[in-house]
This record gives sequence, structure tokens and C-alpha cells, in this order.
Amino acid sequence: MAIQVTPLEIIEEGQTLWGTNRQPVGCSHCHRSFLADEEQIHMLCPLCCSGQLEPQPLRLRPAEPEQMLPFKINKENLSLIYSDFTSGVWFKPDDFNVETLIQRTQAVFWPLWLVDSDVKGRWQMEAGFDYQVKSSKEYYQDGQWRSREIVENRINWESRLGELETHVDNVTVPGLEENNNRQQMTGGYQLENAISFSPKMVDSALLEAPDFPPEDAWALAKPIIDRRLAQVCARASDAQHTRNFAIKGEYHNLNWTQFLLPMYVTHYKDDDGKPQVLVINGQSGQIKGPRLASQKRGLRTAAIIGGIAAMMFLLALLGFLLTPIFPPAAIAAVLLAILGFGTGLGALFPAIWPSQWNRNHQTPKIAERK
Amino acid sequence: MIENHENFWPSLDSFEQVESRVPGVVVYAPIPEKKDEEKTRLYTCPNCGAATSFDVAAGGIACEHCGYISPVKAEVVGRIADEFEFTLETVSQADKGWGIKRQVLHCEACGGQLSLPEGAISTSCPFCASNQVNLTTSLDEFLRPRFLIPFKITLEQSRQLVKTWLGQGWFHPEELAVSSVLRRFSGIYLPFWTFDARITAHWKAQVGYQKTERHYNASQKRWETRTKIEWRWEDGTVPLTFDDLLVIGSSSRRVSHKILNRIINFQMKDLAAYHPDYLAGWQAQAYETTLTDAWEIGKNAIREQAKEACYRDIPTSHVRNFSMTADFADEAWRYILLPVYLAAYKFQDQTFQIMVNGQTGAVAGQKPVAWWKIWLAIAGLLTPGLILGMIGIPLLLLGGFGIFPIGLGIILFGIGAYLSIRLYNKARQSEAK
Repeated sequence: MAIQVTPLEIIEEGQTLWGTNRQPVGCSHCHRSFLADEEQIHMLCPLCCSGQLEPQPLRLRPAEPEQMLPFKINKENLSLIYSDFTSGVWFKPDDFNVETLIQRTQAVFWPLWLVDSDVKGRWQMEAGFDYQVKSSKEYYQDGQWRSREIVENRINWESRLGELETHVDNVTVPGLEENNNRQQMTGGYQLENAISFSPKMVDSALLEAPDFPPEDAWALAKPIIDRRLAQVCARASDAQHTRNFAIKGEYHNLNWTQFLLPMYVTHYKDDDGKPQVLVINGQSGQIKGPRLASQKRGLRTAAIIGGIAAMMFLLALLGFLLTPIFPPAAIAAVLLAILGFGTGLGALFPAIWPSQWNRNHQTPKIAERK
Repeated sequence: MIENHENFWPSLDSFEQVESRVPGVVVYAPIPEKKDEEKTRLYTCPNCGAATSFDVAAGGIACEHCGYISPVKAEVVGRIADEFEFTLETVSQADKGWGIKRQVLHCEACGGQLSLPEGAISTSCPFCASNQVNLTTSLDEFLRPRFLIPFKITLEQSRQLVKTWLGQGWFHPEELAVSSVLRRFSGIYLPFWTFDARITAHWKAQVGYQKTERHYNASQKRWETRTKIEWRWEDGTVPLTFDDLLVIGSSSRRVSHKILNRIINFQMKDLAAYHPDYLAGWQAQAYETTLTDAWEIGKNAIREQAKEACYRDIPTSHVRNFSMTADFADEAWRYILLPVYLAAYKFQDQTFQIMVNGQTGAVAGQKPVAWWKIWLAIAGLLTPGLILGMIGIPLLLLGGFGIFPIGLGIILFGIGAYLSIRLYNKARQSEAK
């Protein structure tokens, strides 16, 4: 079916929206779009860390977001989160430290669609009604039977059909094409804590613009609306369960608005200078992203330990040479040789450990876009 | 407008609008099956107006006067006949003890007032002989019999079977086979409960294994063999399925359960959906043992069988500290009517019962005993031993030759006493209720 949505408008450079001083900007590398304040123009894109946010016109529905989740995590919380995240990684890249991560942290609101709809149609389903049956467990011991009554719950399925004319409110569907990746990176949000959108609550956060159009999102919204309708019909039928719900109906007065979710992004540079983006859920504080050890640093450490081992071998050799003149030197030479051998073996650890750690700690990364 | 809803919705003929708990939502539910007609059904011939009844040979409603026959429109469902669960609602209703009341019925044929016996489902008017089936006034809707096995044996066949049965055995009165007993026979549908259940029985016991070992007997100074039992704790699980376990629904005051249990070999494949036509002209009894009481009886039988099955699962006969649990699952019940020919008759001022399975023709009952024949037979069995003993005693006193006849006499007397006791018990059983 053709769905009704508010038309797209071109938001020009320098034009502000929603009672905020935000202007449209886009990343020259990943082409993600944001609404940013003047100070944030030309900053490094916080999601790809490869391009700059440049002013550009943006095709957007100018309707103000309906709801948002405010940030619950502040900078102090972030220090603790980063401290936990970075600790336990030996041979960290130089850039992977709490101070750098704090310094590069940027607050971002990312969008979901909120869909409202009037629905009129006919439905049918199997309605499940709970009932209880009596059963028993019998015990035999010492020549006597004892009985214990057991009550089991069962479901009686019956056919139900009908007509409905109702309104479904605030169905959330993806607003970004990379929604699944974003959900994976941020974990769950408690959407029931949402508040009405307020420009004051945005503060210095970037507002990411939706790139998944309602025309495409409708395919995801309709099954969710239908599931809500199934629950409504179950309530109307006084049933406790439903299955095989089907509806033939018309969906009128579709209203698409945005629901903004809070997250922080930061990054550090790995051995190759490549930025590794970390995402922190602004509500729960869950952090996700690559937690890499530095192979270069590991090898450097291995080289130092290896050098010490080589020195010990040389001294041991010298001790052996002195043995004909000064026999007790043999003892010192043997000890030095053993110690040198152990130290040499120990040098293998920092050489191997970073690659093993990086292999065993594969974590989801934010979607790469070009 | 809603598109294509004609193809989307099933026909609304079988649905009705029901209460909706949400404004703006209309709900339709399937129309419940219509309850049986509350009124008594009167069976008269549409041709001649005479009373009609279910004819076993014709398998339908028949008129004895004009030969009119109408087949019964009921389906044979066999073992797949609907079963019901032990829902809390059913059990609570059953515990209240509905239904079985004495009632007064107005005969629609002649206007007479009939007082129905307790639990009667069908009757014949004594004034105009019209046959009436009055199931619905007596029982709650969902605890009415839904299935029955129709009579397969005619009254004449049952008489013949009983006549043959009465003629069997030498210690019964000769006049029994030709007595007035056979005229008093009548068919009746008796109430039964059937129960299904799946049981998982777990047992635990000390199981003894016989072991033979050799040991040195120091006092006898030799090697001997002895058997000893080694005890081990063992456990096991036995799954069991019970299908159509029959429990009699009549009171034992009215019908002898002992006799009924001997003819209970009904074939459930002939189970038919209940139709009042089957009861026309026949007596039918409603249950007196409630569902809860009947299930207790059934459950006792099931758990005892489960116990036996657990014992069979144990590889030896040496068992001690036996304990078990039986988990019941998928319990279900049915209330059905089963066909039986009954007769209660008097012989020499004593009342006797005979029953014939109306489906299979199995016969069981009480048979009077000609006790003089029994005593004569017992005397005949004991006499040889006594006589030999009496001969042996003087011979023993005279010259010591009596030991042989006395020994033989004791053996014969023992055999005679054993056979006499068996004969006596058999005779008692024959008359037992």
C-alpha cells in the first residue's frame, strides 16, 4: 500500500531547526548527516573519524522529534567506564588511555521512527484461554499409598474473529539503515523512560539525521502494529494468548516523528594510526568497540627483554673463558646461562600476547560507510 | 472500504457476536453446539400411532404392529470418542453431586403422570405403553452420557444364552433351565466411566541376587556349597498407558459388581454417539457413583497395576524396601452407557441375579445349587478313604497287615477332602451375590 508521510524538505546550509541552533552538516567520508551547532562545523566526524563535518543542505522532514531519552551518564561516569574498559589490556596502544578517550568524547543523539496510525479492518485469530486441570502424583512406601494433588495450567484454543477501528500510538521502527549495528553497539534502551523532545536537553550533542525513509521503514512498522493489534484483540476477547493472528485492514493518518536515543562516541588510534571507534550507551553506560593490544609495543618489549637475555649469554661466555684461570667463574657462568635462557624464553610472551589477545577479543565495530 | 475481506473471513454462519472488553473492537466467537432438546422424546409410529422402540435386529426404531423401521442417525465413533479432562470446573461440579433425582414425568401421549425411579433415563408409560426418553431433565449438560454401545444381542438370543448357561453343571436343580427365569429378562443400559491416563512409574528397592559359594565346614571337615543373597539398591522407570479403563457407575446395592465384572468384556470399537433412539423401549440408568469417586476407584486400580509392572521390571523375585512414585499425566474420562440384560429371579424363596453382556453375549450370574447333590458327592468322595481306614484298623490289631489299607485310606481321604472343599466352594460361589 502507498503510505502517507509528511513530505521531505530541503534544509539549507545555515538553516536552524526545532528551536535549536543546529544546522545541517554531512561527513565528507562516511556521508552520515547531522544537525550540528556552529562550533561543531569542520570537526572530525565522530562516527568514522576519517572525514570532517561540512555544512551541506539536507533532505529532511522538518517535523520536530516527538520523544527523546535524556543522557544519564555524565563525564565522571565516563572516566570510570573508560578506566574499566582500558584496564586489563597489556601492551595498550599509546593512544588508548582514559584521558585521550575523554578528550575525544562526543555526545550524539541517533534517531528511531515513531509511527502512529489509525487502523480499520477485520481480523481473525486463535484465542488461547487458560484453564486448570487436576492431576496427581502417587507415592508408595512401607506398604502404603499417599497421593499429592497437582494442578496443571493448560490453554484452550478457540477461533475468534471480528472488526476493529482503533488507533495505534508510538510504534518504534529503525530510522537508520545501520540500525541493527547501532542497536548491537549500544545495547538496549529503556524506551519507557522517554520524555517529550526539548531543545534544552540536546545541549552540545550532535543530532544524527535519519537515512532510512518511512516508505522503507513501513515494512518493519506494519508487523509491529499488527502485533499490537493482536494484543488489543486478545484483550477484547478476554483471551490470555493469541496465535495465527491475521488482519485485513487499512492504515490511515500515519504520523512519522523521531525518537532520539543518546550515545557517546570516542576513539583511539591503533598501531597503524587507524581510528577505533567506541560507543557508549548514554542511558545504561554500556561500552562497545575494539579493545586492542599493541603488537608494536609488544615487540618493543620483547626486544628489550631479548637484549637483556643476550647480555646474560655474553657474560656467561666470558665466565666460561675465565674458568681455566679462575675455576669458580664456571659456577657464575652456568647460572648466567640458565638465567639468560629463561629471560630469552620470557621475551616470547610480549611478542605473542598482543596478537593472541586481539584474536580472542573480537568485538563489534561501528558500521563502516564510505 | 476493506479490500477482499470476503475471501479473508470464514463464513459468519457459525459465529455469533460476543461481548468485547475493548471499545472499537467487535468480537465474534463460534456458536456453541446446541444443547439437547430439554423435552422428553416420545416414540410413536408415524404410520399407525403405536409405541415404537429400538429393535436390535433391525438396528433402528421399529414398530411391532405395522413393521415401520427408521434407522438411528448416529455415528459409530469407536475408541476415538471424545474424552474430557479433569478440569477444576468438572471436578468441582462432580463433587457437588448433581443430577440424580426422582422425578415426575408427564406422559405426552396419554396425559398420565409417571413417577420415574431414581436415575431412570427412559421409561414406558404404564397407561398407554408409549416409550419415552428423558435424559435431559436429570443431569447437568456436560455430564450426560455422550456415547453408548447399542445392544447387539437380541432379547431372544440372550434368553437362549442364559438357558444354555443355566443348563450347564450337574449340581444345579433340573427345573432351573425351564423355570420362569427367562421371562423376566430385560435389557438395560448401565452407566460406566472410562478413564485414560499415562503413567510414569519410578521405583527404588533393594534387589537380592542369589549367589552360590563354597565354604569349608570345620566341624564336618569338608567343603560345602551354600546359597546366599546379595542385596543391591536399584531403581528403574516404567512407562504405562491406560486406555478405556472401565469403572461401574451403578451402585453395588442395585447391581452386583461381582457379576458385572465377569461380563465386562465390552468392545469399545462399537462405541456410538449418544442418540435417544437407542434408548427407546429400553431401560437406562444414570450413574450413581460420581466422577470423583469413580476416578478414585480407577486410580487405585491403575496404581496397583503400575506397582505390579514395577515388580515385573525387577529382574529377581527377591525385593525389599520397595518404594515407588507414579506420575499421572493426560488423564481423561468419559461417561458412557453399556448394554446389559439383567434378570433377578426367585428360586425356593431366594433371589438370584443373572447378567448377559448385550454386546458380546458373555453370561454370568448366580445359579441355585441342589445341595443334596453336593452333599451326596462329598459323601461319595470321602467314603473310600473312611472304608479303607475302617478295614485297616481291625487288620492292624489282628496281625499288623492293616498298615497298608490305613495308609491308602488316609491318602484317599485326603484327596476326597480336598475335592470336597473345592466342590463346596464352587457351589457356594455359584450362589454368591
